[in-house]
Amino acid sequence: MEGFAEKLAHKLHHYSVLPWDDDQGTIAALDPLVLTNYTFFLIIAFVVTLVFFLVAAQKVDLVPQGIGNVVEAGYEFIRNLCVDNMGREGLKFAPFIGTLFFFILFNNAIGLIPGSLPGTGSIGVTATWAVMVFIVYNAIGFKKNGFIGYLKSFIPSGVREMPAFGRFTLGPFIFLLEVVGHFLRPLTLAVRLYANMFAGGIILGIFGIFMILGAQQLGALGITMTGFGLIMLVIMYAFKVFVAFIQAYVFAILTSVYIGGALHASEH
Amino acid sequence: MLVGVAYAAEEGESAISVVPVLADVWPSIVAFVILFLLLKKFAFGPISNVLEKRADSIKESLEKAEETRVEAERLLDEYKEQMAAARLEAGKIVDQSRKAAESMKEEIVAKANDEAAQVIEKAREAIEAEKQAAMVELQSSVADLSVAVAGKLLGEKLSPADHAALIDKYLSEVGGMNDN
Repeated sequence: MEGFAEKLAHKLHHYSVLPWDDDQGTIAALDPLVLTNYTFFLIIAFVVTLVFFLVAAQKVDLVPQGIGNVVEAGYEFIRNLCVDNMGREGLKFAPFIGTLFFFILFNNAIGLIPGSLPGTGSIGVTATWAVMVFIVYNAIGFKKNGFIGYLKSFIPSGVREMPAFGRFTLGPFIFLLEVVGHFLRPLTLAVRLYANMFAGGIILGIFGIFMILGAQQLGALGITMTGFGLIMLVIMYAFKVFVAFIQAYVFAILTSVYIGGALHASEH
Repeated sequence: MLVGVAYAAEEGESAISVVPVLADVWPSIVAFVILFLLLKKFAFGPISNVLEKRADSIKESLEKAEETRVEAERLLDEYKEQMAAARLEAGKIVDQSRKAAESMKEEIVAKANDEAAQVIEKAREAIEAEKQAAMVELQSSVADLSVAVAGKLLGEKLSPADHAALIDKYLSEVGGMNDN
């Protein structure tokens, strides 16, 4: 299976963060100003998202028409998501959640095109956004509840109402747990999106390689391998389309849940 | 897969980078912030406005429709009342007319009957008078004739032929009188 390993290694190499203009990928330590293979597709997704919304927004009118309907339904979906998770005051965060959702969705969708990569398939990209979400929701929490008020909300009201002994033994422990939990949020956000998009490409690559290797074999084994590879490729591709949407949705809904939690921190 | 990673690692780099690379970090934050600002100003803002405006206009339309419906119902009730009143009035008028026509008819028929009775009565009276006059005349004629006949019988001897001629004459005279 030397051939398989070599091809897989090449495939994996293709999914590494590499300078865009260096196909061989000989530069390991990247210059921060170089255009990488992921940022190249990130910028394409940026342009596509921007153009799509700027064009579609022109078509949105009191009487909706054409593509205006699509973008309107999309934004209405985001508004509903915001209201569901944050209440009426969440509507003012709809542009933020909407940008996150649609930018991630367009990145994921562009990654579906054979030969391209999803901008979200790089941990550098997803971690940046996850940290941004972390900063945004905590800033909202501090602003809304006051510095002490927000920190106090890390200890559940049940513990705060305990007798002094329970409050001072259990309180710091739960506070610590809660802080750790908050810091885990950006980590899970980043890794979930990155791993899903990255693995989607790898899985397609594996079945693709499987097909090619099968085609190089003669006889029943070759036919079986190629057929299996093809079927799995189609199934996995369909799954990848599904995942592209779901992961954008998960990122957006978790962000809105975090902001909602920060907004209503003093209530629980 | 391990083989693959090892293979790539031999070339002096990791196959899967799990450490964020700075070259990926700043473009993603810059792209996001620019996209957020532009979309908020030129896409999400206007779309929100349209959605809210539409919600308002639908609400307004519904309210107006409700108002119109209430007004229409009120008018319908009013018209129904008026209709009922008009129908009652019409019934009364028809009734009155019928009664008037009935009484008029009776009056006319009674009058006609009266007139007819009067005409018949007059006619009968006229006939009676004529008859009386005729009788009186006839009686006087018969008396005259009898006197003449007696005179003649006394004045001349009558042959059987004269007798017959006399009778004829008498008869014709009587007949001529009757013709009058």
